[in-house]
Amino acid sequence: MDILRHLRFFTAVADARHFGDAARDLGMTQPPLSQGVRRLEERLGVRLFDRDARGVRITAAGQSLLPSARDLLDRESAFVTSAAEFSVPNQLRLGVAGDLDDLIPELIAAVAVGGPAVAPVVDGSVQLVDLLRDGALDVVVLRHPGAVDGLWAGEVLVVPTRVVPAIESSLRDAAPIAVAPRHHQPPAHDQLVDELLRLGHSGHVIEAADAVQRGALAAAGSAVRLVPVPTEVGDSDSPPLRLRIAMPLPAGRRPEVDYGDAAATLGRVLRRHRVASHAE
Amino acid sequence: MPSSGQSTEAELRDIARSAGVSAWVHTERLGGPEGDVGLAASAPVAIASLYKLPLALVWADLVQAEILTESDRMLLAADRRVAGPTGVALLLDDVEMSQRDVVRQMLAVSDNAGGDAIFGLIGRDRIRRHLSAIGLPPDMVRQASAGETGAMMRDTGSESWSAAQRLLADPDRVTDTSQYDPAFASSASAADVTALLRMLWLRAGSGHAIIRDAMAQQAWRHRIGSGFPHDDVTVFGKTGTLGTLRHEAAVVQYPHEYPIAVAVLTRSVRPERHQPRVDAAIGEIARLAVRPLRMATS
Repeated sequence: MDILRHLRFFTAVADARHFGDAARDLGMTQPPLSQGVRRLEERLGVRLFDRDARGVRITAAGQSLLPSARDLLDRESAFVTSAAEFSVPNQLRLGVAGDLDDLIPELIAAVAVGGPAVAPVVDGSVQLVDLLRDGALDVVVLRHPGAVDGLWAGEVLVVPTRVVPAIESSLRDAAPIAVAPRHHQPPAHDQLVDELLRLGHSGHVIEAADAVQRGALAAAGSAVRLVPVPTEVGDSDSPPLRLRIAMPLPAGRRPEVDYGDAAATLGRVLRRHRVASHAE
Repeated sequence: MPSSGQSTEAELRDIARSAGVSAWVHTERLGGPEGDVGLAASAPVAIASLYKLPLALVWADLVQAEILTESDRMLLAADRRVAGPTGVALLLDDVEMSQRDVVRQMLAVSDNAGGDAIFGLIGRDRIRRHLSAIGLPPDMVRQASAGETGAMMRDTGSESWSAAQRLLADPDRVTDTSQYDPAFASSASAADVTALLRMLWLRAGSGHAIIRDAMAQQAWRHRIGSGFPHDDVTVFGKTGTLGTLRHEAAVVQYPHEYPIAVAVLTRSVRPERHQPRVDAAIGEIARLAVRPLRMATS
């Protein structure tokens, strides 16, 4: 016997004090409700209601069992609610590294248009990789180099960058560079600083929380930005943004998600300059 | 074995994360009450040139057993050597040296030609049988430098050691080699490496003394040594480097204290050959993992 279902009958009749009203509350007809209450009484060996010409009255036994019946039903609904927090919605949970700046909306739209519903998360690469490992994301575009052990990761995508605002001389004499916080992907951050030093730049960077903050610093003239430009050749002496697409290993993937399709779309958006230069 | 608390382990993990490396660490006090610190200490790792340490131990054991004679001369013929970055492997002509000088070069400057020569002198099977017999994993010496270089060149489709290095160091791609895989390369866990160091420090043969002395004379001190910038602290070290693998095994000796064996094995996510940040992180990891074990000899 489905005890919880029959306890719902019990409490509904106790509340309405009328089988017909209770049946309406439950969205069912009266005969199965009356039958259900009778089966519960048989199963428990306890009479819950007295029925006579004047209607239905709860018995003393029914009255004392009512609180624990309500309690069980409350706990059932609490259980279902908390389980919902763990349930995985049927959509592509896409993580994108904040370093992609202005490219982020375009990248997410490319996957969402004509594709699955997308639940986007923008964060640092280290944080995204943690979420991916915890099963909270499906596909991630992260900055390379960074740790990807225990995950599948595609080839390195080298996206050219442009200095914004444009500078007349070389990067060598440029202001400090506004960049994502180092803790978003320490090795990639260190690699960029080393490349800047190699190019003759001072190597000074200003860590700013997000693209808006980086834009504000650039507007104030206290820093310049390196903006990824996948459709262009980029400034010859500005270090590229290196990215990788990562996802769980095949054994950890969800059957309802088309990982290959999402990765292919993301790759197409990020690899356009190379396709263009091949065509030339 | 008593281990130090979770906090040291968490700190080691933080340093590794910030430096962009996976790290496998084990430190152990040699003498006095037992004590050790570990991070993923029992996982097998490809050890690159650290294979020269167990190889040297086998050689020293065979010298002590009077099967080999340390002053016997060896010919390292130029046309039978594989080029490498240091030592005789860097030279152009035939070289003749005593066995013990070959071993010293192989440890003090990680001479690949010396590794191949001692490996050939003893023979693969005898080396592996001996390691098993003394309780070390035989896979610590799966092959010598020529085998390692050959596999690396095959995997990357390169025609020389330096061309393979360039490919492995390209920041714009991820290049893999079987020599990163403990199933194909000479491999050991960090705990295996400290067990080996313990044997080297306990044995009294003249060959074993040569090994310890050569390790104290190691040409560089940028990794574990960077964590102990003290003139009166001796670091007996041996590095191992291949592509993204950066390792060092060492015994750190403070005056009037028990020596401490240290194994720091790392794999960097950055591919570049020169990574002072990672080398410095190895020093920091070593210092952190040695500190709780320091103890004055009574």
